[in-house]
Amino acid sequence: MTGYILKRLLAAIPVLIGLSIIVFLIMALIPGDPAQAILGNFATPENIARVNRELGLDKSLPEQYFIWIFNVLQGDFGRSYILNRPVLDEILDRFGATLILAGTALVLCSIFGILAGIASAVRQFGWTDRLVTLVVLIGISLPSFFLGLLLILLFAVQWRVLPASGMFAVYGGGDLPDLLYHLILPAVTLAVVATGVVARLTRAAMLEVLRQDFVRTARAKGLDENTVIYKHALKAAMVSVVPVIGIQAGFVLGGAVYIETVFQWPGIGAMLVKAISTRDILLVQGGVLIVAAAYVFVNLLADVVQSLLDPRLKT
Amino acid sequence: MHKLIKGIAAIVLTAGVAAGLMSYAVAQTPPNVLVVGQIAEPQSLDPQHVSAVNDFRILMNVYDGLVRYKDGTLEVEPALATDWSISEDGTEYTFNLREGVTFHDGSPFNAEAVVFNFERMIQEDHPYHTGTFPLSFYFSAVTSVEAVDDMTVKFTLNEPFAPFLSNLAYPAGLIVSKAAVEEHGEDFDRNPSGTGAFKFVEWQSNTRVVVDRFEDYWDGAAPLDAVVYRPITDANTRVAEMLSGGIDVMVEVPPDNVSTFADDPAFTLYEEAGPHLWFLILNAKEGPFADMRVRQAANYAVNKEALVENVLQGTATVAAGPTPPAFNWAYNEELDPYPYDPDRARELLAEAGAEGAELTFYVTEGGSGMLDPVAMGTAIQADLEAVGLDVTIETYEWNTFLGIVNPGLEGKADMAEMAWMTNSPDTLPYLALRTEAWPDQGGFNSGYYSNPEVDALLQQARTSTDQAERAELYKEMQAIVYEEAPWLFVANWKQNAVTTANVENFSLQPSFFLMLQDVAKPN
Amino acid sequence: MSAADTTMSAEVDADAPPARPTAWQLLMNNTLAAAGFWIMAVIVALCILEPILPLPDPDVTSLAERLAPVFSEGHLLGTDHLGRDILARLFSGMRVSLVVGVTASVIAAFFGSLIGLIAGYARGRVDNILMRGIDMLMAFPYILLALAIVAALGPGLLNALYAIAVVNIPFFARNIRGITVGLAGREFVDAARLSGKGHISIVLTEILPNVLPVIVITMSTTVGWMILETAGLSFLGLGAQPPQADLGSMLGEGRSLLFTAPMVSIIPGVMVFIIVMSINLLGDGVRDALDPRLRAGALARPMAVTKIDRKAAPKSDDKSALVVTDLETSFEGTKGTTPAVKGISFSLDKGECLGLIGESGSGKSVTALSLLGLVASPPGIITGGTVAIDGQDVFGMREQEIVALRGRKVAYVFQDPLTTLHPLFTVGDQVVEAVQAHQKISKSDAWAKMLDLFRAVRIPDPEQRANAYPHEMSGGQRQRVGIAMALANDPEIIIADEPTTALDVTVQAEILALLQNLRKERGLALLFITHDFGVVAEICDRVAVMRFGEVVEAGDTMKVLSNPQHDYTKRLIACVPKPGQGRQFLDDVRKLAAETQNG
Repeated sequence: MTGYILKRLLAAIPVLIGLSIIVFLIMALIPGDPAQAILGNFATPENIARVNRELGLDKSLPEQYFIWIFNVLQGDFGRSYILNRPVLDEILDRFGATLILAGTALVLCSIFGILAGIASAVRQFGWTDRLVTLVVLIGISLPSFFLGLLLILLFAVQWRVLPASGMFAVYGGGDLPDLLYHLILPAVTLAVVATGVVARLTRAAMLEVLRQDFVRTARAKGLDENTVIYKHALKAAMVSVVPVIGIQAGFVLGGAVYIETVFQWPGIGAMLVKAISTRDILLVQGGVLIVAAAYVFVNLLADVVQSLLDPRLKT
Repeated sequence: MHKLIKGIAAIVLTAGVAAGLMSYAVAQTPPNVLVVGQIAEPQSLDPQHVSAVNDFRILMNVYDGLVRYKDGTLEVEPALATDWSISEDGTEYTFNLREGVTFHDGSPFNAEAVVFNFERMIQEDHPYHTGTFPLSFYFSAVTSVEAVDDMTVKFTLNEPFAPFLSNLAYPAGLIVSKAAVEEHGEDFDRNPSGTGAFKFVEWQSNTRVVVDRFEDYWDGAAPLDAVVYRPITDANTRVAEMLSGGIDVMVEVPPDNVSTFADDPAFTLYEEAGPHLWFLILNAKEGPFADMRVRQAANYAVNKEALVENVLQGTATVAAGPTPPAFNWAYNEELDPYPYDPDRARELLAEAGAEGAELTFYVTEGGSGMLDPVAMGTAIQADLEAVGLDVTIETYEWNTFLGIVNPGLEGKADMAEMAWMTNSPDTLPYLALRTEAWPDQGGFNSGYYSNPEVDALLQQARTSTDQAERAELYKEMQAIVYEEAPWLFVANWKQNAVTTANVENFSLQPSFFLMLQDVAKPN
Repeated sequence: MSAADTTMSAEVDADAPPARPTAWQLLMNNTLAAAGFWIMAVIVALCILEPILPLPDPDVTSLAERLAPVFSEGHLLGTDHLGRDILARLFSGMRVSLVVGVTASVIAAFFGSLIGLIAGYARGRVDNILMRGIDMLMAFPYILLALAIVAALGPGLLNALYAIAVVNIPFFARNIRGITVGLAGREFVDAARLSGKGHISIVLTEILPNVLPVIVITMSTTVGWMILETAGLSFLGLGAQPPQADLGSMLGEGRSLLFTAPMVSIIPGVMVFIIVMSINLLGDGVRDALDPRLRAGALARPMAVTKIDRKAAPKSDDKSALVVTDLETSFEGTKGTTPAVKGISFSLDKGECLGLIGESGSGKSVTALSLLGLVASPPGIITGGTVAIDGQDVFGMREQEIVALRGRKVAYVFQDPLTTLHPLFTVGDQVVEAVQAHQKISKSDAWAKMLDLFRAVRIPDPEQRANAYPHEMSGGQRQRVGIAMALANDPEIIIADEPTTALDVTVQAEILALLQNLRKERGLALLFITHDFGVVAEICDRVAVMRFGEVVEAGDTMKVLSNPQHDYTKRLIACVPKPGQGRQFLDDVRKLAAETQNG
């Protein structure tokens, strides 16, 4: 198992390096540069040249890239042009917030998605199934940013029971209840779509598994229906659900971009949107790298869990 | 297995409900703490590293400059300098500094500190010239800064430069603590220290910047215990926070929410006209707008009254010419805005033979001072279509927009949105209307307007130190530019802000700064 | 895909209902999908008719009339912040959003499938490089990738469309590659290769047709998602250029008015929701209709006990351990229920062995599974007859009583233990579970009992093997586990459903010998289902021959063998090869096959 994990981690390295090159090229293709963003209205060619010199952006593209990758390999992600602080500090600050949000959403969507999927499969064509199917369909058909705005309108403005934005109370607060309180709306919004996907998949996987011969064997043994469903069928269904939860991590991380913008969550998604628009290349590079690494890691985790569940996959 | 799942579900549900019911109910900010809803995270708290109005709103309360704008005006008054003298030829400025002022870090304010500040900004090889200094060109005329004695500083300029004092009052002229810069180096951006009414406490990325009252403030300690700046980039969220009581002050209220706050006794709405101009650059070098009549026709064709009254909901006034009325001494009162006259526009177009001309119109999605640019652009496009011009809009995100507009519109577009907020009537025309300010020469004249008479007037006004003479020159310039219409003049913004009703002594400044030194919030 | 194959073949074995409905019928039978289809049809019709509908110009502004409320005169849905008619903008916006969403899907499907086909067919280095590239795209947060692409290309619907398409390529590429890999190793591809076809022609004519339904299914489930993403980009201001309306930019523009004029954003938001919802409903319907498994009705959850809906429940005086009288089991289809077996009657007493013989599809497995209500239901229904165990009518019992009988009085041994044993539990645990299902004993006692059972079925080194997973054992050992499991609660009757079919000949003989011994030692009644008269001759006292769901001949094994009455029985007997028979055997079988097809 350890060897397998190591192999997977090694395989991720070229992916991450390739990704950093792509990001670098795309960023180079975008018109405008960080000097432009720093100077705003005052961006005369003269000023831009001066600022570019100050930022070391007057070097050739490959040169810039190699300087960057060389520094990264030594653990130095450089300084953000716009924020005037080390990229790593900013990313770690932001990434924690995103982890809390995306992690909660992922846990929510896994729990509720799987529960709803099972309920809907077990009571197939019954009331529960119809209800779950409907709710799931509504979930995956609503634009998440629209849902977020509606929730703010209702819970924060109309009823004033939940905060409209932010991660902590503005003054005071800062403890766990405060965080949970601020987390509810964004996490729920973010989880809704992913829950739909997981629920649909769990339902399909359960239905598929319930048809398998080994389930018939379990029944032929005289096991009660609960054991058949929750022990035999569920375990087998999880083998195909777990990797999808891994893939969902990617969508949740991506969807976090909208949600962080709408809810002012100080996460890495909102940071990257801004960094792209201000051409803060080093920040974009570092941020994308971290998010991609997180994605690779979650998928690796999902694969490990999957192989723990399914002895046939052990190598 | 299913028991486990049911268990987890139960825990999650309970936790969720418990958190939901927790009696946080309505967010309420504590007394004597002012929570300000900002439009974005500050880039830096080093006044020499920033150029955005949003950051100025923090900096002006943490730092002081040698001079400052008098409350409610754009006139300069003493601050850290008690008085000053200007040499006959207008190239030497000598300042006497205020005694007994200390920085928040305890180090004394003196001539050495002032010299350090300006040398750090101007000299690219200065050991603490790290990061970028976007507004250092405000002081590009300065050749040397010397400490005459411990409390006297002398600036020498390479030529007379009338806006110098006004520039000193701008955030680029705010004085930072030398000791703090030396201690924190590159990280001074996040560990600022000035002499202002509030001292820096903490900066949590994208969450808040907190400043506390500085008890030893030379101009009298502020009534507020603390100010919390919250970055809320989304205007709707900002409105929601304001309505739900999460913030006390909100700047840049979206036009359509203005009436909501104005009608509600729980809030107070503030408005203040400032030196701002929202206009369209017209490409005078090529295409239909090379003909002055077409440029004038465009000015007649757009219903600016309707734009400011409806799209901007009265948060702006119609602009008459290149100089905003906020520069009252330099503003030419005799010029009335081009009236909305589509028939006149059609006539002019017919004369110029430009009926049905195809035009490309660059529109930005946002940007400082851009006032709902997409809606405005769309409405303008519709007005121009109505007089028979075929206008295609291309929208760009702000930095991209600047990246393609600033190098000039030639070969790309016929018109582009633009907005400027300046501190002197000199800045905008000098940077954007002179022949020598064409993009290839390092200026912002992206529409290639050129009139030697205007060039001469501007050069003269810049070097004269007599304000009355400068006023005449500027007024003359405005009349010419109005007539030749290198731009489509649209609006002058009235900046606005909303506070909760219990905030006292709040006011907005024509400089667009947010001064909180006298603001109180007793309950 | 392999899982799908097994289910499909299992389904064929289990006597699939004869007439399959067409995809269209399936789609329209699905209420939700039909609803989605009709909503979509109305929307598309409105989009097409939009130019001739009496609507104002969607781009004409009228600032004085801005933000008119819903149901204003002349503006049914009100006006937006520039006084433009929202209804008119909604209609033209719908069209734009639909066209962009569908086009982006088609582009993504084309390039994604192309990459997937190439990677899956070529394998090796090409596969590796292509898939690493896809991994990169996947690891990049999709919205940011789209954002960066639009930032690089410049704004505009077309560029947003490209961005959305690029972002979704991995989805198709991975799906299609997986299936192509499975197909590329199949016999028909090898055959095509041997016949000298070029690679391109193989991919286009052999693989693509098989992959096409999957592409269509994937597309139908992603169009909705694409429309949402397009709306997202437009919402961020990167899509349609003003004054053109699309739903996303309408939402984005209306967003700043959320508190003052919420309808301006709620209307396009709800419209996006309706469109995506109907597309998703339709997409699900298309998927259900095209997926072969779903078409066979396979993805319905089987109940714990087969549905029982008997026309008649005849009584029998027979006092044997197991008495089956006039059993009829049917399958529900779209065109009503069709009996799979009917009029089945037989009995089985202690220590007896009855052989149930017939070819695939003759209904013998259905018969065996019907006895304790194990036929998957839906679609299976017990439509008639009685199964009496110790004189008690099984189908008259409550569900729990039937479950209590299973494994306790009557135990099953199934064919192919690789699929009938649970792949994720150790064989020891599975047998222990069977023990504990009916005996209230501790886990350690159950474990000891399990080891005894393993010894009884002659599994060598049982302590060790008990911790093995099914896939770690040989076929013969697995079947011994299956038998041990059946013996766990000392049942009186064992129903063995082709227990030796998947095994090679020597192992088959060993298992048969084991079953024989156990029967003798424990006095078991054995119902033995097979297609092989050789096996029947070896162990069965009596035999019943089944064909087309009916028993055509029954009697003592020796009698039937020596003097078969029915033609079909004769042919079956002819199928047992005898030493020295040679080519004659093959001819007999050929004859049999031809008859079966004609019959």
